Amino acid sequence: MGKENPAEKALNLIRGRLCDPTFVFRPLSGPPDSNYSKLKFIVSTSITEGCNNSILLLGPRGSGKAAVLDLVVGDLMEEYPDSVTLIRLNGLLHSEDNCAFKEIARQLCMEHHLLFSKMASFDENSQFIIAMLRECGLAHKTIIFVLDEFDMFAQASGKQRLLYSLLDAMQSVTSQAVVVGISSRLDADQLLEKRVRSRFSHRKILFLPPSREEIDSLLEHLLSLPADSSFPSGYVTQFNEKIKNITSDTRFKDMLKTFLNANSTVNSLLKFIFRAVSSMNLESGLLSLENFKTALSSMLRQPKLEAVRDCSILELYLLVCMRRLEVKEQSSYNFISVMKEYKTIHDSFQTSDFYAQNVCLRAFEHLREREVICYAENRGQSQAGEYRPMKLLISASELHQGMRSHACCPAILLKLLDH
Amino acid sequence: MRLVLHLDSISISISISTSLFFFSTMPTIAGPSSSPHKHIVAARSENTGVSEVNTPRKRKLRSDSAAEVASTAIVTESSFATPMKWKSPRRCAVSSPKALKKEDSKGKLESPVMSAVKDRFDCLDVKSKWNPRDDDQMRAVKEALHVSKAPSTVVCREDEQRRVLEFVKGCMEQKKAGSLYICGCPGTGKSLSMEKIRQQADDWAQQEGLPCLETVSVNCTSLTKTTDIFSKILGESETGKKVNGSSSPLQQLQVLFSQKQQSSSTKMMLIIADEMDYLITRDRGVLHELFMLTTLPFSRCILIGVANAIDLADRFLPKLKSLNCKPLVVTFRAYSMEQILRILQERLVELPYVAFQSKALELCARKVSAASGDMRKALSVCRSALEILETEVKGSTDQEPQSPVTEDQVVKMDHMVAALSKTFKSPVVDTIQSLPQHQQIIVCSAAKAFRGSKKDRSIAELNKLYTEICKSSMITPAGITEFTNMCTVLNDQGILKLSNARDDKLKRVSLRVDEADITFALKEIRFFRNCLL
Repeated sequence: MGKENPAEKALNLIRGRLCDPTFVFRPLSGPPDSNYSKLKFIVSTSITEGCNNSILLLGPRGSGKAAVLDLVVGDLMEEYPDSVTLIRLNGLLHSEDNCAFKEIARQLCMEHHLLFSKMASFDENSQFIIAMLRECGLAHKTIIFVLDEFDMFAQASGKQRLLYSLLDAMQSVTSQAVVVGISSRLDADQLLEKRVRSRFSHRKILFLPPSREEIDSLLEHLLSLPADSSFPSGYVTQFNEKIKNITSDTRFKDMLKTFLNANSTVNSLLKFIFRAVSSMNLESGLLSLENFKTALSSMLRQPKLEAVRDCSILELYLLVCMRRLEVKEQSSYNFISVMKEYKTIHDSFQTSDFYAQNVCLRAFEHLREREVICYAENRGQSQAGEYRPMKLLISASELHQGMRSHACCPAILLKLLDH
Repeated sequence: MRLVLHLDSISISISISTSLFFFSTMPTIAGPSSSPHKHIVAARSENTGVSEVNTPRKRKLRSDSAAEVASTAIVTESSFATPMKWKSPRRCAVSSPKALKKEDSKGKLESPVMSAVKDRFDCLDVKSKWNPRDDDQMRAVKEALHVSKAPSTVVCREDEQRRVLEFVKGCMEQKKAGSLYICGCPGTGKSLSMEKIRQQADDWAQQEGLPCLETVSVNCTSLTKTTDIFSKILGESETGKKVNGSSSPLQQLQVLFSQKQQSSSTKMMLIIADEMDYLITRDRGVLHELFMLTTLPFSRCILIGVANAIDLADRFLPKLKSLNCKPLVVTFRAYSMEQILRILQERLVELPYVAFQSKALELCARKVSAASGDMRKALSVCRSALEILETEVKGSTDQEPQSPVTEDQVVKMDHMVAALSKTFKSPVVDTIQSLPQHQQIIVCSAAKAFRGSKKDRSIAELNKLYTEICKSSMITPAGITEFTNMCTVLNDQGILKLSNARDDKLKRVSLRVDEADITFALKEIRFFRNCLL
């Protein structure tokens, strides 16, 4: 390893932690009424008591559903080796019945070291699956079916045959299995046919965004360095002290609040922290409040605003003219009408920025390349660019804001915009 | 179980050659038996337990019950395997269920049943106290309430079962063919009753000395093509004969049923087609042909079709009416409150202890019968309540492991209420309450926007409303990109609905959630209450 800077090592460690869902969600599994314990309770009773169950995990994307399920399955595989078989299906890939049955048969064959034939027909696959379910039931091995993107299984084919067969197998005494559906749609079980819904056991676990206390403890868990020998001890205490200072600072709390007001899932929080940590100053080796500020501004970007801020004065003029034409209820306008408006402004206000038509055309093209304006319709390609109707791709408020934050926007333009 | 066993009975002869390809290399998972098919055949003929002699007693119970076919075996097995605890109170109790059955004549259960049931609960001194901390006892109760466990007697369906059985008996006696259509909502005991009827018909045939009944049970969801049902029927009746390639199975069946049979004691065939609406194709050919099989002159099949739609026979088989051979229709109504209560109590009466407070069971029955009358849901709610009790008990165990069970720790009303709310509550309200603030403002503006008759708006219009609300409360609104992202997130969750359009700005937005739900969820926050006014 050589003489690696402890700051770099710390950075690598923290970044590694942020990318590992097992580490992130481990402390959330402590309390007894957390989603982890609920899920674990249900699946482990199915394993120990041999009763079948079906359950649905609901929550917005990035709230940790698949991560918690992986944690639970990993723990159960350690506790009960050789009694758990895991079959994973994804609604984006396997929503068609033939495909799904083939995939289940293939995974079962892999688990039990059997030869899988790609030529097997749908009938053969389904009989094999039923026979395997019975065998595993008699041998007291539980099969856990994980159906990712559960709503796609329900929506894809009209008959929902896969869901019906799986949930029907849950109703028989001979099989020992658990069906876990993961979905981001809250009404996923309303999408099921009534037959299938009757066989589903209506257990739902909702993954809500973490509360303030949970976020604080999560931050501490992720950012504190361990006091082991690989880091110089003085550095560790210094680092952890700085983290405590930052997290108790009111400015940090405000920043966090602004961020969480827009999106509050665990995943987006991890991205925010990742960016902050990546901009850590490697010389001092400590995090600071500025890191978090830069991270926040980079996450809440407004790209169109930045485009307007970088425009030249002539381009701003053209944008203002287009906006005025819109306000005057002129539904479609092209370059020529914009030029007319431009001339009118120049005549009435005697501005100093009056340029020739070809210069304006260049400015126009520039705006179009930056996708601040575009052609209103795709036909009429044969027409010259000047005569084709255009439209604005930014809203009036964005234009307003962009111009106000522009370095040297002439005051008259703002007045013209407000009109 | 029915799906599995029925497939075996049909498909052993046809597919054993193809399936052996899979099973030739299969290691022995379940002990000495090497092939699952042989295993099944052995199980069916011997009707005894399976090979695990070394597994604990509890597990033997499950694998035993997996192998048996007859219904009475459940009671005998259970008393067999747990001699100490399972003294079935039915043997020694005051009121027996057979006496009960004679009392209710039409299946309409009112006060006589309730009082009889209450009597049975009065003789509780026979029952011992239940210790929820004991794993075995908890497991026994959970198993009694599991959907997969078929009860030994099917209660509350006596009337319907009798009608069907009379029909089948009549057909068997006169050696005539007939068709019957059974309909009802999911979870009303149709497939379960069919199983019982099959066994009862078999027993009766043996009793009367008639040739025994051949049965073909098909779950139509397992058919790849709808015409496969004919090959399944053919396979059953002509076991051993190879499927003739020249004519289709349907034609073979038609030929078979149009000729007079040689021997006079030919067997009647009972065909049970579960989930029959999967056979409906656009030209309704298969369904029609299936029912027409019963009208052929020498047909000897009794066809029972099971589905959910009440008017399937009328809508899809109009021609049968003109031929005057419309199938008899038996409707399995959704369970009423008393029926659900009775079924739950029947399941629990076999246990030697009381696990549920009777008021809790009543509440569950009332709520489920008001919602759908689906028995599976009632069982699921009861199991859920048991689990709530279990976590409560286990939670308190950590503090005092040595203290005995002081009071009656049974499933009480509050457990049942919690279980009912978990099952019936939709997660929408909770989710809306825990959304981040900007997303709540978007939901609020959507509720306002779609109050009138307008059903969808463009994103730009919604954005305008959103910025208005933000400005009126001094919150910085998010930009259009962020706004569109948040709308996409809400679309993923099923709260909003975004149409597909290439351009982001042209997408149309509509609301998927009820406005009442939104108002209810956000009523605590004064800010939103003012907005939504």
